[in-house]
Amino acid sequence: MSKPSVIIIGAGFTGVATAHDLAQRGVQVDVVERGPIANGTSGRTHGLLHSGGRYAVKDQESAIECIDENMILRKIVPEVIEPNGGMFVAVDESDLAYGEDFIEGTQACHIPIEEIKPEEALKMEPNLNPNLLAAFIVPDGTFDPLRLALSFAATAKSNGARFHTYTEVKNLLFDGKGNVTGVHVWDRTNGQERDLYADITINATGAWAGEIAAMAEVEVPVKPTPGVMVAYDRRLVERSINRLNKPGDGDIVLPQRRMVVVGTTSYSVDNLDYVPVIEEQIDQMLEQGAQMIPSIRQAKPRGVYTATRPLVGSGTSGRSIARTFKFFDHEESGVGGFVTITGGKATTLRLMAEQTADHVCEKLGVSTPCMTKETPLLSYRLFYSLPN
Amino acid sequence: MAENKWTVNFEIYRQKGQGAPKFETFAMEVRPDEYVIDAVERIWAFHDRTLTYRHACHHSTCGACGMRVNGVEKLTCITAIQSITRNGGTVRVEPLRNFPVVSDLVVDMGKMYTRLEQVGFRTTVPLNEAPPPDSQGIQRDRGASTELERLVDCIECGMCISACPVPLTTPDYLGPAVLAGAQHRGLNQSSAQVLALVDSSDGVWRCHSAYECTAVCPSSVEPAWRIMDLRKQVVKERFKRIYG
Amino acid sequence: MATPAKTEPNSPRNFLKWFDARWRDSGMWAFALNRLTAIGLTFYLFLHLGVLSTLARGPEAYGSFLQLIKSPVFVFGEFLVVIAGLYHGLNGIRIVLTSFGIAVPYQKQLFYVLFLLAVIGSVIFGIRMFTV
Repeated sequence: MSKPSVIIIGAGFTGVATAHDLAQRGVQVDVVERGPIANGTSGRTHGLLHSGGRYAVKDQESAIECIDENMILRKIVPEVIEPNGGMFVAVDESDLAYGEDFIEGTQACHIPIEEIKPEEALKMEPNLNPNLLAAFIVPDGTFDPLRLALSFAATAKSNGARFHTYTEVKNLLFDGKGNVTGVHVWDRTNGQERDLYADITINATGAWAGEIAAMAEVEVPVKPTPGVMVAYDRRLVERSINRLNKPGDGDIVLPQRRMVVVGTTSYSVDNLDYVPVIEEQIDQMLEQGAQMIPSIRQAKPRGVYTATRPLVGSGTSGRSIARTFKFFDHEESGVGGFVTITGGKATTLRLMAEQTADHVCEKLGVSTPCMTKETPLLSYRLFYSLPN
Repeated sequence: MAENKWTVNFEIYRQKGQGAPKFETFAMEVRPDEYVIDAVERIWAFHDRTLTYRHACHHSTCGACGMRVNGVEKLTCITAIQSITRNGGTVRVEPLRNFPVVSDLVVDMGKMYTRLEQVGFRTTVPLNEAPPPDSQGIQRDRGASTELERLVDCIECGMCISACPVPLTTPDYLGPAVLAGAQHRGLNQSSAQVLALVDSSDGVWRCHSAYECTAVCPSSVEPAWRIMDLRKQVVKERFKRIYG
Repeated sequence: MATPAKTEPNSPRNFLKWFDARWRDSGMWAFALNRLTAIGLTFYLFLHLGVLSTLARGPEAYGSFLQLIKSPVFVFGEFLVVIAGLYHGLNGIRIVLTSFGIAVPYQKQLFYVLFLLAVIGSVIFGIRMFTV
């Protein structure tokens, strides 16, 4: 009796975390990814391990998810995390006014915060705007994007998952009744094509989820929304610094190795495969970032790039797990053997995977419960040294 | 903002399966302040979907996009096109040396990762052990910093191993990245196996001081200095084990 | 992932790449020149031993050899040996120092200074050898 099997399309955060969860539950997992691990949106995240403070006022369900997953990730994969906390800072009166809502919101979401005097904040972070009006400490963190993904992938591999990178899905395979039975792939390293079969095919392609879903003629309401990020060549802060205001452009400055990264903006684009940088937005990031960390003006940009968020539309098609990520079982539209998971943010990757795996295991008749909350992940380097 | 556009020829190394390698040239319109990886990405997106290359973060923290650009190892996400050529110039892009080529610009660095694990190279350090502040830098409140941590500088990009002349002819040389990783951990924190691994003719003694590793490192690791320091650590450890 | 292609990363033929320091930094130039001068000096060593063996064949054989070495080709060859010896020896001092962790952060400056000394020494020898 062979193991139940899945194919996961996409090896970004969603794909690798889901591969880990399912492999741990004894499912045979094959991940197909047209590029290397995390080469899409996931690799380009600025690396903020959310405390949830950013969402505590307007999106409390998200905020609670963030703080819970933040604590879990610190336990299971500390090797890729700088657990240095973060700050929310007010630099003008309107920021200050937001403070009350912020305190209320974070309390309601059990996010531990601590208000500190501006002088204290400046002692902790000397490069902060000397005119800051208020500061709150939050349990943010920062992480290494690729290595977070590789840690999940390595652990999945150690449990029998197989990763086929540089392998692009050209079309889905169907049985006579319109159900998906697998994928037809193109190995880009040697030009060969072949078929892979599985009980369930999981579309975990994030911003590209709509494009893959279209291969089965079903719709997924994902709205790809790119934003620019600028990495400057000096590590001016040791913690993430968030603007104390409603979510907006350029409201985060955080450290990443010997740099600081400022993000981000929001715009729309037609071609997901190449999103150009809009030069005016680089200036915008400098202006916004400098309001919190003025000495960014003395730093030079080291890298400038875009990343495309997979924002899920508010349409109610599909079973909504939470407002930020959504799971779609396309059997409901007549296409069995095919599901999509998209949306979400890096911090909640494990939770997205848990809920996806729960649904998929239910369909497969696998009753093993999720164990990823307590399982420390293996070293990310093992991804490259373990064979497939 | 003035749209300053250059035309640059990109000669890309191509190799598939067991076929012979060759170079293909793509004439690309680029902004001079764009990065080499942007051009490579556009070649894939708009000109040739068979092109394979490694990339992830696009801001020099993941170490995936190291390639040889006009013969020298560069992290292509932070290498501005204007820093290596001019309008009408040619940029040759090849995979890293001293690793087996998988396809086009992608190499297999499995051996390096295995060895980094073997020497126990750490991934984070406590803040008070981290490198000194930047020049305009952060006066660190050292008292509070024992709970704070920092990711290490080395992004495991493999460029130092590519630039080193020794692996050209010595298959088993551990290489700068691995030796620097062992030095970083400290032999007094490592097992006898690690000591044996680095204190060998393919370990710390195989370095012949070309210093090209430090020259190409994009992350201020200074592997050459670390290899020499590791030699001192080796001698110290050996003395300890002989004289107790 | 597909099986890696047949490029050999470590091959004895690659030793020619030791001498290719184009676009490389000063350390690689120093390395390449060190190897080149080493090969040259080794070749000279064998030549020298061969020459000394003529002594065993008596004064006439040695005498005719002495005539040979006055020819411009040989004198120039000797000059090359001097240059190679100066460079290899001085850079060798730099390698010995840095190999034991002394002055590693200053290896570039050390190279330039010692290279300059080698050049000066070569010029002095050259003047003495080619003028009289």
